[in-house]
Order: sequence, then C-alpha cells, then structure tokens
Amino acid sequence: MISQFFILSPRGDVIIRRDYLGNVPKTSTETFFRTSKFYKAGDEAPPIFLVDGVSYLSVKDGGVHLVATTRDNVSPSFVLEFLKRISIIIKDYCGSISEEAIRKNFPLIYELLDELLDYGLPQNTSTEALKTFVLNEPTVVAPPASLKPLFGLSKGPTGVFKSVLDTNRTDGKRRDEIYVDVVERLAVTFNAAGHAISSQIDGSIQVKSYLAGNPPLKIKLNDDLLITRRDGSGYAGGGGYGGGSGFSAGDYAADSSLVILDDVNFHEVADLSAFDTERCISLVPPDGEFALANYRTSHALRLPFRLSIATEADPASDHKALVRLRLWCDVPADKAASGLEVELPLPGHVARVHCEVDAPGSAALAGWEFSDKTHLLRWRFKKVSGGMDLSMRARLTLTKPFGASLRTEVGPVNLKFTIPMFSASRISLKYLQIMRKDRNYNPQRWVRYVTSSNSYTFRT
Amino acid sequence: MADSKYFSTTKKGEIHELKEELASLDRPKKKEAVKKVIAAMTVGKDVSMLFPHVVNCMQTEDLELKKLVYLYLINYAKTQPDLAIMAVNTFVKDSQEPNPLIRALAVRTMGCIRVDKITEYLCDPLQRCLKDDDPYVRKTAAVCVAKLFDINPELVEDRGFLDMLRDMLSDANPMVVANALAALQEIQEISGKEVLQITSHMLFKLLAALNECTEWGQVFILDALVSYQVQDSKDAEKIVERVLPRLQHVNSAVVLSAAKVVLRMMEEVRSEELVKVWSKKMGPPLVTLLSAEPEVQYVALRNISLIVQRWPSILANEVKVFFCKYNDPIYVKMEKLEIMIALASERNIDQVLLEFKEYAQEVDVDFVRKAVRAIGRCAVSLEKAAQRCISVLLELIQTKVNYVVQEAVIVIKDIFRRYPNQYESIIGQLCDNLESLDEPEAKASMVWIIGEYADRIDNADELLETFLETFPEETAMVQLQLLTATVKLFLKKPTDSVQRMIQLVLSAATNETDNPDLRDRAYVYWRLLSTDPEAAKDVVLANKPVITDDSSQLEPALLKALMEQISSLASVYHKPADTFVSRQRLAVQTVDTLAAARSFAEEDVAAAAAAAPQATGNGAPAAAAAAVSSAPVVDLLGEDLLGDSTPAAAPAAPAATPGGLDDLLGGLDVAPAAAAAPPAAAPAAAAAAADPFDLLGGMAAAAPAATAAAPSLPQLLGGEKGKGLTVYGQLKRVGGRVVYQLHVNNGSATSVDGLMLQVNNNSFGLAPADQNVAVGTLAPGARGSAAVPMAYNPAKLAQGPANMKLQVAMRSNQLGVFYWDDNIPLAPLLEEGGTIDGQAFLAAWRGLPQEAVQKLDVTIADVEAAKARLGAVNLFVLAHRPVPGTGQDALYVTGRVFGSMQVLLELRLMRGTPGVDVSFKSERQELAAAVFAVVRSSLT
Repeated sequence: MISQFFILSPRGDVIIRRDYLGNVPKTSTETFFRTSKFYKAGDEAPPIFLVDGVSYLSVKDGGVHLVATTRDNVSPSFVLEFLKRISIIIKDYCGSISEEAIRKNFPLIYELLDELLDYGLPQNTSTEALKTFVLNEPTVVAPPASLKPLFGLSKGPTGVFKSVLDTNRTDGKRRDEIYVDVVERLAVTFNAAGHAISSQIDGSIQVKSYLAGNPPLKIKLNDDLLITRRDGSGYAGGGGYGGGSGFSAGDYAADSSLVILDDVNFHEVADLSAFDTERCISLVPPDGEFALANYRTSHALRLPFRLSIATEADPASDHKALVRLRLWCDVPADKAASGLEVELPLPGHVARVHCEVDAPGSAALAGWEFSDKTHLLRWRFKKVSGGMDLSMRARLTLTKPFGASLRTEVGPVNLKFTIPMFSASRISLKYLQIMRKDRNYNPQRWVRYVTSSNSYTFRT
Repeated sequence: MADSKYFSTTKKGEIHELKEELASLDRPKKKEAVKKVIAAMTVGKDVSMLFPHVVNCMQTEDLELKKLVYLYLINYAKTQPDLAIMAVNTFVKDSQEPNPLIRALAVRTMGCIRVDKITEYLCDPLQRCLKDDDPYVRKTAAVCVAKLFDINPELVEDRGFLDMLRDMLSDANPMVVANALAALQEIQEISGKEVLQITSHMLFKLLAALNECTEWGQVFILDALVSYQVQDSKDAEKIVERVLPRLQHVNSAVVLSAAKVVLRMMEEVRSEELVKVWSKKMGPPLVTLLSAEPEVQYVALRNISLIVQRWPSILANEVKVFFCKYNDPIYVKMEKLEIMIALASERNIDQVLLEFKEYAQEVDVDFVRKAVRAIGRCAVSLEKAAQRCISVLLELIQTKVNYVVQEAVIVIKDIFRRYPNQYESIIGQLCDNLESLDEPEAKASMVWIIGEYADRIDNADELLETFLETFPEETAMVQLQLLTATVKLFLKKPTDSVQRMIQLVLSAATNETDNPDLRDRAYVYWRLLSTDPEAAKDVVLANKPVITDDSSQLEPALLKALMEQISSLASVYHKPADTFVSRQRLAVQTVDTLAAARSFAEEDVAAAAAAAPQATGNGAPAAAAAAVSSAPVVDLLGEDLLGDSTPAAAPAAPAATPGGLDDLLGGLDVAPAAAAAPPAAAPAAAAAAADPFDLLGGMAAAAPAATAAAPSLPQLLGGEKGKGLTVYGQLKRVGGRVVYQLHVNNGSATSVDGLMLQVNNNSFGLAPADQNVAVGTLAPGARGSAAVPMAYNPAKLAQGPANMKLQVAMRSNQLGVFYWDDNIPLAPLLEEGGTIDGQAFLAAWRGLPQEAVQKLDVTIADVEAAKARLGAVNLFVLAHRPVPGTGQDALYVTGRVFGSMQVLLELRLMRGTPGVDVSFKSERQELAAAVFAVVRSSLT
C-alpha cells in the first residue's frame, strides 16, 4: 500500500511528511522533486513514475505537490483519488489549500492524516465523519492572489474560503449556508469552415454545505432532462444510473427542447428514488465540498463563441501580412464572459506584430501581447457581453516574403473564458429545498452556474 | 493561531530551550513546545535527542497533546528502541481507557512502532481491541494485525490473530469488514502464503458488504473478488450483476476495479451474448473517466490501451472521445494517440486522419513525430486507407518542416514494405527532399527506398553517390543500408559508374571500418558477387516478407498477464508486477543493529540515565524493560564513543594534561597503525606480505581500520588562527549518513560554547542538517567531540565543474567566527544501496560521453574478495564476466555519490598480475580522479 505521504511546497520543501511502512528511503522527497522538475526534455512529468523500484504518485493543487510513494503494485487511480480527497479535505478544514494554509495548520493536518491513513490503507475520508476526531482549531487562509483562480476556472466552487468546523461554532457567528454550483467545462473544436466538429461538456453539480445538523435536501432538475447512451452503434438505451427506460438519443436529438446527457454518475449520498419520475434528488448533505453528480454530454450545446479568421498578403509590402479575426459572443445579452483570452500561434518567421481592435465600449481590451519565444499572440478582454461582435486585426512583419502556406501556419485559435450564470447544456436547478420544518430556520441558499473553456479551439 | 511560526529557522540554543519548555508545568506551553518539535521533525531536522523529554509528556489527559507525542514516538522509536520501551506502559493503560478514541489511538500507535520488544506488549491489548464493542476500535485493531505480522509473523499465527481477522469479515460494520479484508490481503502479499481464500460463502458476504462500504473499502472488496475462482457461468453472472452498478461510481478507482472484475468474468463465461451485453455496459463508464483530471485520465488511458487490445469491441465506436484537446498535458496526448491508432478503422479513418494531420502541425516536436508515425501505422494496418494516408503524408512533406519530412520518409519506407509495388509513383516527391534528411533513421530509410527501387529511379546512381560521399562519417545504420542499396543498384543496373561505386563501398566497408557487422556483410556480398552474380540476385533481390504494424501490440502472454492486473501500477507501466515490485520491508530494528546508527548520542546518554528512574514510576513492565535495556545502552555507547571520537574511557587523562594534548593526539595519529590496532592491521599486513611491492598500499588500508579504533582526524584549525581553539575533523560516513566528525580542543583561557557550523556552497550540496556542534560548554583545557550530520541541500550546490573543496565556518559565542578549508573525501559520499540494474547501467554507459581511464597499480588475486571490498565502500559490482580471448576479467561497477550522482566503472584485470584498468563514466567527469582514489584504496 502507500509507503509514505508527503506534501512539498512549490520549491520542493517538505511541509508535511508521514512514513507508514518504512520501506522507502527518506530521500524520496528530493528524488520526487528532482525527477518531476527535470523530466526528460522539459516535458511535463506524468503523475506516476518509477525510480529505483519506488513508484511516485502525485497530484498538484494550490501550488503544492501531494505525493504518495509505494513499492507495491497498488491501484494507481485509488492512490490518485485518495490524494485528491486529501486536498479536498484540507480545503474543507483550512478554507483553501496552499503552502501557507498547510504551514499554518500543520498540527490539524497531521491529526487528519492520522484518521485518513493507517498503515498506508485509506480509512475514513468523509469530511463530516472526521470532525469527531479533530481537536485542533483551524486557521482559515484565503488563497494568495496569484493562485486565486477566476471564478469557475477550477472545477470546484470557489470564492468561499471557510472551514467546515465553523458549523460547530456556538458563539452566534455561525452562518448556515449552502452552495450548489453547476460547473461546466467546454471542449469544442471547430474546423476551418467554422463548423463544430467535436464538442463536449464535462459538467458537475458541486455542493458545498455549511448547514449545522445536516438537514435533508431536495434538488429538482429540468423536467426535459434525458439521460441516455448513444444508440446508433448498438448501445442499449437506459438511464446512466442503472436501469431506466429505453430511450434512444436518435429519436430526440432533433428535438432541441430536450437536455440530453450521455452519462451521469452520482455521489453515494444521492437518493434517486424520485429521479426517474420527477428528476428529483434527495440527499442528506455531508459537511464540506463534494460532487453530487458528474455528467458529460455532446448534445445540443449552446456554443458561446463563433469566430472567423482570414490571413491575407499586404499589397504594399511582400514582407507584411494581415490577419483579421472576428468573434461573436452568442450568449443571451444579460450574460457576459469574463477573462476572455484569444490566443493565436504564429509561425516562426513572424518578427513583429501590431494589433488593432474594434470592440464595443464595455468590452474593454485589457491588452495584447506577442511573445518572441513562444510565438503566441494573445488578446485579453475584461468583459464581453452576449451579442457583442469583436474585430481584431494583426499586422505581421515577416522575415521572409509572404507565401500562401502562411494561411495554414497561423493558428489554431484557442479561446479561454468563463461565463458566470450560464450553463452550456441548459441543465438547471428548478428548486433547492431544505427539508426542515422550522419557521426560524432560513439558511442562505446559493445556486450558481458557470461555464468555462476547457479547450475551445478554432482550426485554420 | 498561526502554527507556521514553528517553521522559523533554528536559533542558537533552541534545543535547550525546547527541553525546558517540554518540562514546563504549564500545559499550553508544553503543547506549543511539542508542536515546535514536530515542525522541526517535518522539515528533516534531527530532534531525536529530545526523545526522553517528549516521552515524558505522554501521560496526559489532554488528547491533543497525546496525539502529538504519539506522532513523535512513531517517528523516532526506531532509532531509540530502548527508550521507546518507556512508553509501553502508557500504551497498555491507554488501550483500556473508557474513551474509544484513546483505545484506538493506543493500539494504532503501538503497531507503528516497529521495535520487536514492544510487540510482545502489544499482543494482549490487541487481542482485547479486536473484540472491542466499538467498531472504530475494531477496525483499527484489524489493521494493527497486519502491522504486527510484518514485524513478527510467528507471533500473529501463535496468537490466532489470523483466524480472528477472518471472523471479522462477517462483522456487522462495513468499515471493519473492509479493514479486515485489506489486512488479510496485505498479509497474503507479505507472506506469499494464501491466508485469504474466498469461498462461495464468503463471496456472498463480500458482495453484501460492497454496497455499504466506503469507496476505499469497495476497491478492497472488488480486488478480492478478482481472485475468486468461479464455479460456472451462473456464478460469474451473479457477481457481475452485483458489480455492474459500481461502474457508475464517481471514484475512478471504484470504476476501474469494477471493470477489472467484469473483464475477468468475461474470460470465464462461455456465452457470447453475455460478453456482448457486458461490453456495452463498460464503454460509457470508461469514456466518462476521460472527463476527470489529467492525472486520472492518464491512468484510465493506459488501462484502456490494454482493454482495446483484448476487447476491441468495447470502444470501437468511441474514437472521437480520444481526440486530443489543445491543452491536454503531453503525457495524455501521447496515450490518446496510441488509442486512436488502435481504434482506427475503415469507417472512421477519414476523421482520424484529419486529426493526425492537425497534430502534425502543432508545436511539440515529440508529439508531431508521433502523429506522423501514427499516419504511417494506420496505412500499414488498414489496406483500404493506405492511399489516403499517403496523400496526407505527402501534404505534410510539402510543409518542408525538417522533422516532419524525416518522420514521413521513415513511415513511407514501412508503407512500401507493406504494399510492395503499389505506391512507387511518389518516390519522385521524396527525392525532392533529400537535403533535409540529417537523422540516421530517415537517411537509412531513404537509402533503402532508393536501393529497392533503383530500376525505377532514373538517377538512382547519382542519388546514392551523393550519400556515399559521406560514407565514413555515417552511423552504422546508414552505412549498412548504403552497402545493401549499392549492391542492389549494381545488380539491377550494372553500369560502369556503378561498378566503380560498388568497389569503393566494398573496400571502405571491409578495410576502413571497425564495425564487424558491416565488414561481415560486405564480405558476404563480395563473395557472392565474385562467385555467382545470379545467386547474388536471388539472395539480395528476393521478395521480402510483408510487414504488419505491431509496434503497440503486446505479446499475447504479456497482454494476458496485464489484463489480470488492470487498475494496478503494472497496467500503467505495461510491465508485469514482478518486474518492479520487491518485497522490501525495513527489518525490525533491534538494539544490536543500531550500533552503527548511533553516532551522535552523547547527549542522550545523560538523558536516558535521567529518564530511566522516572520511568520506574510508570509501573513494573517499563521498569523491567528499562533495566534490561540500560545495560546494552551503556555498552553500546562505550563502543561508539571509542569508535567515533574522544575515547570515553580516557577523558580524565587528557584533561589532566592540557599542555600535552596536541602531542598526544599527534602521537595517536601515527601509533594506531603500528600498535593500537594490531588486529585490524593484521590482515592488511598479510596482504602486504603477499605483495612486497605494495607495502604502502597495505599501510593505507590499515589506516582507515585504525581510525575506527582511535581518533586520528586531520587538524583543520589551530595556532593563531584558532585563537587557542584546535579543531580536528573529517567527513565520515556513519550509519548511512554523512557526518562531519569534529574534535574540538579548547586551549584558550575562556570557556567556549554555542559552537555552530556552516559551510559554503560546494560541488555536492553538502550542508549541515543541524548547525549545532554538540560539544556543550568547553571549559579552558577541555575537549569535546561531535558528529554534525550533513544533509543534501540543493541551495548549497555550487555551479561549475566539481572540485573537492569545502569551505567551513564555525562560530562560537566567545571567540567569534573561524574559517577553514577542508578537502571532501569521496568515500563517505558514496551511498548505501546506490546500485542500479544492469539495463539501466548499459543505457547510462552508452548515453554518457567518453570515459576517463586510469591504470591502477594494484594486484587482485581473488576477484570475489575484491568485489566484497568494493561493496564495503558502496561500490557495487553489477556484473562480472571474462573478457573473451584475453584471460582478463571485467567487472562492471556502479555507485551513487551524495546528491544522486551515479558513477559507472568498468574494471579490467588479470588475476594475480599487477595493474587494473579502470574506465570511469559519469555526468560529472571531474569526479574521476577521486573515484579512482577510492577504488585504489579499497582494493589495496
């Protein structure tokens, strides 16, 4: 099983270290850091590698490396999932995960580790159950500004930095609240003609609960939700949660009023007895953050951006070229994308770039930059509202005369963005009920949606 | 409360301060102190000297404090087994506390203390806890059985713990079931015996527990199910029915383990219908794994690439989900590419090709190359798509990107071999790009193509001639191809100019090369051509067998083995488990084996002595244990002190004659070799006698032996520079660590204390792990010894070529700072266990530049003894084989220098004849001289 668990700072310092089996040398912390930092030819090291008979498995979160070592033939996803869980638990208890948060809470984290792992075997990993065993007070740390992701860029609900131990407080400062976030990450590829040739949403319903006494909840999703597996190639239809009726997507794909999901999985707390008939999920939420459901779909997406690109020679000079980009934002006018970045790789013989942008006033250009090293041209916009239409022009100075091949060497264009209160799949929460009959009990309920780009690429 | 303050750097006298705080009666203060100790422990500082002080805090009502103390105990009990005994009594008492948390804590911690003496005391509490009313205690006790088994298997079997564990599989609490199962699996692994046989009765219980368990427990159960021998199809069906819902779990480990069970059962059932139904259910969950974080995706992809080889139908229609995303990490992209090739079919090839073409224009060179190869591999495996693949390759060649063109040429050669005489029309386009070929594999491929189709390429002779101009500089691969291609050309078009070419090539390949393969092949051709040109045609121009694409296909036997290890590291490495798993557990520490590790324990003697009487307060067992252990402690320390530094028995004498100290030490320096260490010197003398020319060498060997018996450290500081302080010292290797052995002699008129050490940046990143030079306060005339542990600190690594200089600074509270320069001897920097396997050695040897060579003037009569001697200085002999035809022996030796620098050596010697040729390779060539010196001194 797991021989050692340790946490390394971004510079490779050990901040937490536990040895369980004593069969891996102490120098493993350095071995790990050096191997992952100087992996062959600067490539990113894979999350699992073997050095001198010791396997190193790691995940990175909040700038720190969480690492497990072993000499056994363990299940790697088991260890990686466990490391991810540790990082979630640290977030639940310390408000966030970062070098600072861990250093400030190290007795608490050792206490948690005691319960999480015994002799290298994972034990209790529910944030809720762990509360019984924890005696240390947390020091809540908000992540440093440099690591703070824009809302929704990471998969989990962000912007809330508080410890689950808050729900134990009796000093009147306790705030009962619950966050339900629908987080969707879009992976879309457009071909040169502007058609989406592949598109997928990886979505997740994330719950972060700070409700004292854990009252039961009821969540209702769209009535027109259809969960199916593709039928065309002989897949048996059926609910993704096991059993269910024999829908086939083919029959419904044309009907755009349906929200079609390819596959869903649910957290074990979800009671799905009313899901087939009413699309209702009942649950008793444990404290802390967890994914109530993960889903994926490639159907009927609302694609938030379209783009056209043209590269042409400059009649005035054969060492110049002009690239025009036009970008439409196809979300409802009351929604807006934040932190939009348009990234355009240019060929090596582009020496200089000059850019002009036409954009409606509110879509202020935050700036553009061209890097000689990576040959990436990047525009950044602060806020782009639905219905807007942006034009970008880049005048390239070339070190060799313009050739037709330049057209294929420019691109592909890659977009990064976050759209709050928008779900590309149109999945939505119809209601979120807290099932406690008490007139005075009125905790805050937050339902949020966010769609962000995972990979949003226009080929040229 | 911000605990990060504990990580602030060591201040002077910190240890002393901590001791006082640990003894404080104020509980919060005490707790703070223990936290500081734990923080120091985490960052790797040695705080083992505080052991007795921390253990004294153990008996407390404060659970938080108790946990902290236990944490410390687990870490250091190994190095202080005799002191750890002091804690036993508290453990036993805690295991009977009314609070289940404390009971569990006690039994959990006791099991982590891997000291065999403690295990005897563990059995009774463990037995009680296995039957505890509280499931939390029971589940902790279950794991503890596995811990105990690792330390003392006989004890576990004698006490019937294994049966108790098996009974626990029927426990009402799923956590207990899961832990009992995990413990049994672990014991089975350690012992290699079958302690866990799943009967059909047990199977039923496990399946029932599956739904109740935590996700981790579910994985344990699913992994256990795989080893169940099914009786018939019905049995398998029943299991799969219960396991299938697990495929919907959010935890990818549960999904993969469930998939493993279903795949296993697919091998068992005969019904094709069932296999088809199950296959369909597996596809979507596997695809869903690709929505997870890249780390989880990577594991899933490595497993999927095995699954699609065994059961192609499961994902046959899903190739699209494996298309690479622009921002996938490179390790994910590479795996996706491999799976896309496996799933490419005539139905989806157009889509797939479009993707490959897109990837071939990305920026990452390795990825681009792999994408081009992927196109070639699809062409080879899909006959109907070959033409389309070739057109894409030609388009890519038009981009003129150097590495794309070269890669394309290589795969086109494969396509020609797969489909002979079909696509030669494109040769002209290839020939337009000859100048961009500069990599051997691409050149060799192009030369092969020219030779193979010499009769259809009008200017084949001219083309080959240009290649031949650089014949002597080419790599062997290209030379061989050039030779063969020229012969083919000659057989097909025997013109005069070609005749001249062939003579040129044959003579170059036979006379001007030292590559035996090339020479032999050239002779064969020569003979053939000169005796029977027709036969030569039959041989050289014979039809070649058609190739298939098997570059990603695993051997059926290996695939079968790996399919049984789905969702394990073996499935990620694509290597069977026994190639990388070794059952290596730390041997249980006993007092005897610790002798070597105990090098800086002076302070603890006093502490132990002080602590022992206190321990008697804790009750009978501890007192008895302390009594038992105190005797060896004293012995041990006696030996150690003798070995390391000031002779413990003699401190009175030097103290009495302060003036003569230097003399005395000086005398000692010479004396031991002759007198003080006669037993150690004897074998060396015998060796010297056997070889009269090597008398000096013999003395050198005797010298280190003598240092072990009495101090003979070189002087580092003295005279005026030392302001009365004289320091002797040297870097040594003690108990697997590098320590700076220091001997300080206070000849000044004041008491000196607060000695601290620092070193300047050096070539090895050596830095003191603890800056304190633990000699305490030295009164005028007094002397003290300390061993400062050194650790690797990358920040201390000096750039530039390695040198053996170490600049040292030592400060004292009274006399200020002193500086001296020391030489770093290489021997102490060679690490235990610094060996690598033969494959790695070969690969590294080939990969490194020219070696340094030296002939050592030593004689080896007995190779086995020489190996042992090298081993003693942590140079490991990987292989020993005779050098054919010379009567010599070759030894392949490796070692790891502090800071993970591998050095590789080849020794060639003639038994009993003076002279050993040593070749040295390393990334740091500058170490050669130092390594030669170590080899020389170890062998003489």
